[in-house]
Amino acid sequence: MLESLLEFVIQGLVLGGLYALFAVGLSLIFGVLDVINVAHGEFFAIGGYLAFAAVVLLHLPGVVGVLGAAAGTFLLGLCMYPLLIAPLRRRLAGRPQAPLYLVLTLGLSTFLQSSLLAVAGGDYLRVPPQVAGILDLDVTAVSYQRLLVLGAATVLLTLLFAFLRLHPEGLAVRAVSLNPEAAQAMGINLSRIFALTLGLGVALAGVGGALMAPLFNVYPAVGFPLTIKAFAITILGGMGNPVGALVASFLVSLAESLSVMVIPSQWQNLIAFAVMIVMLLLRPQGLLGRGVSR
Amino acid sequence: MSGRARLATLVGVGVTALPAVLPHPFVLTIATQAAIWALLAASWDLLSGYTGQISFGHAGFFALGAYAAAAATKHAGVSPWLGLLLGAALGAAVGLLTGFPALRLRGHYLALVTLGLAEIIRLVATNWLDLTGGPFGIHDFRSFPGLPEGAIAHRQAMYVLVVAIVAGSVAIMYGICERTTAGKAFRAIREDEVLAQTLGIDTTRYKLLAFALSSGFAGLAGGLYAYYIQLVSPVVASAATTSLVIGMVVFGGLGTLWGPVLGALLLYGLYEGLRFVGVVYNLIAVGFVIMVFVIFFPRGLAGRGRSA
Repeated sequence: MLESLLEFVIQGLVLGGLYALFAVGLSLIFGVLDVINVAHGEFFAIGGYLAFAAVVLLHLPGVVGVLGAAAGTFLLGLCMYPLLIAPLRRRLAGRPQAPLYLVLTLGLSTFLQSSLLAVAGGDYLRVPPQVAGILDLDVTAVSYQRLLVLGAATVLLTLLFAFLRLHPEGLAVRAVSLNPEAAQAMGINLSRIFALTLGLGVALAGVGGALMAPLFNVYPAVGFPLTIKAFAITILGGMGNPVGALVASFLVSLAESLSVMVIPSQWQNLIAFAVMIVMLLLRPQGLLGRGVSR
Repeated sequence: MSGRARLATLVGVGVTALPAVLPHPFVLTIATQAAIWALLAASWDLLSGYTGQISFGHAGFFALGAYAAAAATKHAGVSPWLGLLLGAALGAAVGLLTGFPALRLRGHYLALVTLGLAEIIRLVATNWLDLTGGPFGIHDFRSFPGLPEGAIAHRQAMYVLVVAIVAGSVAIMYGICERTTAGKAFRAIREDEVLAQTLGIDTTRYKLLAFALSSGFAGLAGGLYAYYIQLVSPVVASAATTSLVIGMVVFGGLGTLWGPVLGALLLYGLYEGLRFVGVVYNLIAVGFVIMVFVIFFPRGLAGRGRSA
């Protein structure tokens, strides 16, 4: 009993690391741009494919695959603002039509997912783990790859939060998130911050994709279910609140992995959505959110 | 008669005449499915285009209707006519239930909740093996009785039946949106909900009405799909279905009802036509159409020539 409990907790923590990489980026993008990126999971998939290309096709070391995935998805994210978001923003000229951004990124999601299918085919691609071996904890065993996911998530998110707190550019990101007009009046270049935020946000998903590729395999639709689950997580944590998203990621992942002890495992994916709907009814601003719902 | 209405009538007549001009099984199959999609697109437009309540869950309502119809006919031997009504009723009921929490939610949140709802429906459909057949879905159930036996004649009869039901349903929705106070209330809620409330419009009632109508007609479309395709599997409830429907509406023109119908017929034709080029290119095209039209032609085909 205690052994399986410990095993499920460890599984939950690893899964939480993945959710956090994913949901914190999504939440950051929403907080700064007021855009919900429905295509977030496709960047996770692209990260996995970049890792596959680097490691399997080009025979480069695993770490190059992860860095390549980070750089590649970061660049794609940088392009997303000037190519897609900015033109719609200009046309709307300040009118609040937030749902249109959802429709726009839904289109991007379909476009990217089918493009991956066209380029790479629908096969499940295997990527060798970046680190081999298994850590034996007596009661249970964890592969080093899973620990790497958790470790990388911890390091990257610590760096991200330090960047947002300490670096001038990071402070500018937070300023825009609080009040875009005032930030602009203080001389902050909004377009630049928007592009940077999108780049950082989707790069976190890209790294997640590269690190999870050995555990999940890679296929075009690998990221989409994560996107939907990350919506539930960001709502739980409070929309646009990256710290809340971090906390909610681990709450949801632990609830999911522990639920296996009580309910059949095929239903565990329902938990996040049930929590989301209850949360929206009782406390739409989220666990750590403040003020009224938008 | 305005130019746009004339164009719509022309397309309508053209579509209806198709089985007489081209009685080919492939053309008939595509045309029948396009008509079903047109109904689903129009139902989405009623809620999201007219009333401004963006739903990302129409795949879920569609799947509910399809599963209700298929399961009722397969397990309980219910007549397909009754099955259609059952599908519509279940869609409307769940839509109404979704409408209550939706009263407190706007924009983003509503879209996310409805997306989550569709995902729940998909998970239940995949895992409730006894009722839904799991991942393989429900098949081998009766379709409409009394249709001709011959391969072509059967498809033609099915086509006429589907088009009649779709045309009737779209006409009802159009009538409600354009000719009744409810339609005016829908638009008022879309433009400014607070103002609408201040003017004494019962926004709660009209939002719930829009939800029930929209999800009910989506359920009806699901029922038609079930009896036509004769297979209902969890794929129906996937987000790709919602994406395709939203693509059709954006392509045709939000908030016009006949625009989405036109958009559905054309985009579904393109979608199936691209299968000849390569089976993956059709969804690339759908994604591309959504992005280009949202950014550059927000009024869709229906709004050509009008300023944004």
